[in-house]
Amino acid sequence: MSEATNPETPLVNWVLNGQPVQSPAGMTIFEAAKALETTIPNFCYHPGLTIAGNCRICMVESNRSKKPVISCSERIAEGLEIQTESPMAIEARNAVMEFQLINHPLDCPVCDKAGECDLQDYSYDHGPDRSRFDEEKNIRHTKELGPTIDIWGNRCIVCTRCVRFCDEISGTGELCVVERGDRSVVDVFPTVPIDNPLAGNVVDICPVGALISNDFKFEARIWNMRKTDSVCAGCARGCNVEVQSLDGFVKRLVPRENMEVNKWWMCDEGRYDYRYLLADERVTACTKDGEPVEDHDAHETLAHWLQDPGGTLGILVDPYITCEEAFLVEQIASHANNALVGGWKPADGTAQSFPGQFTISGEKAPNRLGVEAVLGKLVFGSQGHALRTALEKGQVSTLIVFAGFPHPDPDDAWVQAIRKAKRRAVFALQAGAWTEGAGLVIPGASPFEKDGTYANEDGRLQRVRSFHAPGDVEWSHDLQRLQAVLRIAGLRPRSLSSSAVFRELADVKKPFHGLSHSTLPATGAPLPGFIPLPVGVEGGSV
Amino acid sequence: MSFRKIFTPHLGDPNCHTLEFYEKTGGYEGARKALRDWEPDALIDEVKASSLRGRGGAGFPTGVKWGFVPKQTDKLKYLAVNADESEPGTFKDRVLMERMPHQLIEGIIISCWAVGIHSAYIYIRGEYVHAYQRLVAACAEAYDKGILGSKVLGHDFHLDITVHRGAGAYICGEETGMLTSLEGERGQPKLKPPFPAIEGLFGCPTVVNNVETISNLPYIMEIGAEGYKKIGPESSPGPKLYCVSGHVEKPGTYELPMGVNLLELINDHCGGVWKGRKLKAVIPGGSSAHVLSADECDVAMDIESLAAAGSMLGSAGVIVMDDQTCMVNALLNVMKFYHHESCGQCTPCREGTGWLEKIVHRIAYGHGKLEDLDRIDTVCDRMVGKTICVLADAAAFPAWSFTQKFRDEFIHCIEHGGSPEVKRRHPDRIGGGLHV
Repeated sequence: MSEATNPETPLVNWVLNGQPVQSPAGMTIFEAAKALETTIPNFCYHPGLTIAGNCRICMVESNRSKKPVISCSERIAEGLEIQTESPMAIEARNAVMEFQLINHPLDCPVCDKAGECDLQDYSYDHGPDRSRFDEEKNIRHTKELGPTIDIWGNRCIVCTRCVRFCDEISGTGELCVVERGDRSVVDVFPTVPIDNPLAGNVVDICPVGALISNDFKFEARIWNMRKTDSVCAGCARGCNVEVQSLDGFVKRLVPRENMEVNKWWMCDEGRYDYRYLLADERVTACTKDGEPVEDHDAHETLAHWLQDPGGTLGILVDPYITCEEAFLVEQIASHANNALVGGWKPADGTAQSFPGQFTISGEKAPNRLGVEAVLGKLVFGSQGHALRTALEKGQVSTLIVFAGFPHPDPDDAWVQAIRKAKRRAVFALQAGAWTEGAGLVIPGASPFEKDGTYANEDGRLQRVRSFHAPGDVEWSHDLQRLQAVLRIAGLRPRSLSSSAVFRELADVKKPFHGLSHSTLPATGAPLPGFIPLPVGVEGGSV
Repeated sequence: MSFRKIFTPHLGDPNCHTLEFYEKTGGYEGARKALRDWEPDALIDEVKASSLRGRGGAGFPTGVKWGFVPKQTDKLKYLAVNADESEPGTFKDRVLMERMPHQLIEGIIISCWAVGIHSAYIYIRGEYVHAYQRLVAACAEAYDKGILGSKVLGHDFHLDITVHRGAGAYICGEETGMLTSLEGERGQPKLKPPFPAIEGLFGCPTVVNNVETISNLPYIMEIGAEGYKKIGPESSPGPKLYCVSGHVEKPGTYELPMGVNLLELINDHCGGVWKGRKLKAVIPGGSSAHVLSADECDVAMDIESLAAAGSMLGSAGVIVMDDQTCMVNALLNVMKFYHHESCGQCTPCREGTGWLEKIVHRIAYGHGKLEDLDRIDTVCDRMVGKTICVLADAAAFPAWSFTQKFRDEFIHCIEHGGSPEVKRRHPDRIGGGLHV
């Protein structure tokens, strides 16, 4: 990768499909062709793994060899002439496809991979439309390889991507190929199941439906799902994910490639952590003094509280609010005569690093840095202290709490403190200690339902998007609710989209200058001039 | 110049494997000479000049292979002696290791001195228990007498030999497959380049030579490159062990010069085809070689001549078949082997070997169709030259040559309900159901 982007790498003149082209030296034919937008089929090649060269589907014709060469391992060289669509190359591909399919069960109609299966796709392009194979197909094992992963051995094409992943990326090495020849199949050693924090990735990188996630098995057809690009909120790493949902229910998360953040991977902790969306404790309607009320009534009540806080206004934020929401919080605070804004975030865990240069952050807060960039670097530090002290002394009359935690685990000191406020409104994802005894409880959105931006532990600003289709849900999200309240209170003229709120934010907050939702790259952008504070230093957790 | 046997003259002696006997018959003189009189570079040139070619099957010039190893390197260098001898029909290395283990050790000393290697591995086929025991005993003797170890034959040169047993995989006889197996990995070939001479065992420069190749070295030291070149054809000279098996009166390992005529080997040395029958076919170089029909057998057994005849010398495992052999059944036997032994890494070989066996099985058991012959042809075509190692080619060559040269017999099987051999042996299995 670095070779391709380093401008000082010398260029090599070679010929691709009759066209003279130039590519940085050291690239493989496959990579160079891909950079030139010529796609060569591949099964065993994965940019994040070592080259195995065993599937043979990427064979191309070369002027340097009588036999077809594999483009994933051969490197480009001066004067090399490569044909990807010559009769020899096509015949080689067709041959590999025929071999791949003779013992394949062709059970696409019941296979969870169908729709995103490389074997299926290439079969349309290169496979024979009928089989010359009159024999009985081989049978290989179907079994559990671990708590989250099954293997359907008959579908396995032994590309060893999963084996290499466990060897090279997770470094745990649970998977191996057992048996030889057309009996060979991926397996684990007895009593050593695949159970590592990155295990779910082997399902993603399986080019066929051999490795199947227990969590997603038989849940949905790939093509029916709605796919939303967002960011995982499990930790401060901010892995790029695609949220795949059907009829308003999240079915699974899969990682998106982002070389600056998560490469091609994500951890199981984040991957399987979406069930809280359907938790029994989920707050789905506004309540006032324990009684259900219409959204508008709740918004109106809160607006009145803001107009007349009756003393000090306290706002307790969490690191799950987006930068846009944090900006509205600041507006509320700035209009109050006497306001205290502080933050609370979940306790840090231990960071986990893996040989494949992948890290699960110890900080379990997805947007601490973003909130700090808007509300001040000390919001989770001394500002939080100040708010709690004021609360404990009974000096806060009106308190707004943002409790968007997927897994509410409040510490007692805060829970005791917030109860001392005279009036309390809580934007809550789930009912519990934070909402108990609150005058006003307003349903909060989960990170997968928010629309805005998060900044990860490196200060990289990334878009989060709601997986819901417009009209999917009857209730509106935090950003809309906050704007509704502000509008009723006369503090904002009208409700705007998340992008428009961000534009306002970018105008006034220095780290966000020059950024906008529409120009933010898919891989995010570092917040300029904002140097992230390490956890534990002033500004870290309370 | 009359031919002098170097591998087999003393095989009749029950003590021929001992150090005492070997030294009595001039053993370790070649190694002494090499260490005393030859600079390593000059020694490599001498081996190049001898035109010694690898005896494992590919016939690569040994001196040239040594020359590929980088002279200046921070890494260790290794010699890996390929003693995995797993090609069907081949049993020459076994004889050498069981009877002449010290000749191999002497050869190892010479090659390690030439290339600057201090650590050699002998990767021996797991089934060769007796040969393994003999080798281990011979190494122990050599260490005891100061032939191996910190001062090889009293010179300032240290060398260690490790004998490692394989676990019974044909593919571990392929050089990179052998190296991965030695490293403790699943034994399967690696992508080349990098070639073992640059990046082999444990990522270090490694020379991989066959047992018989190495065993030639003491003799080259004795008579010099010029003398050696005079034995047999100039391009691939030297004494050669031929393993003759199958339908001959006296099967066994025969030491003859390179380029001996195949018919002479069968008729004069092996007592001819057994039971007075006629010759039908010969596989001249292990089961991977193209089969020769009887009228093609008047050929010299050297690398060039056999290549010109459309086959190969390979490991010189000569399998003789008489006129009562069912070629369909013979091919089925060969296909079973390759199906069983394909490592399963590359798609064409993994799937193709199994497919070929199933088709041939069907023909032999009375379910063949005429289009199967074309199918075998195209499947072979789709396997050859498309994989990391040459096992796919090795499986395709016999399938190709059997069905082409004995097509009538295959057609007869297809049209008459299966192979006569199978009918005779398994009358209950023929024709009923699809046995695959």
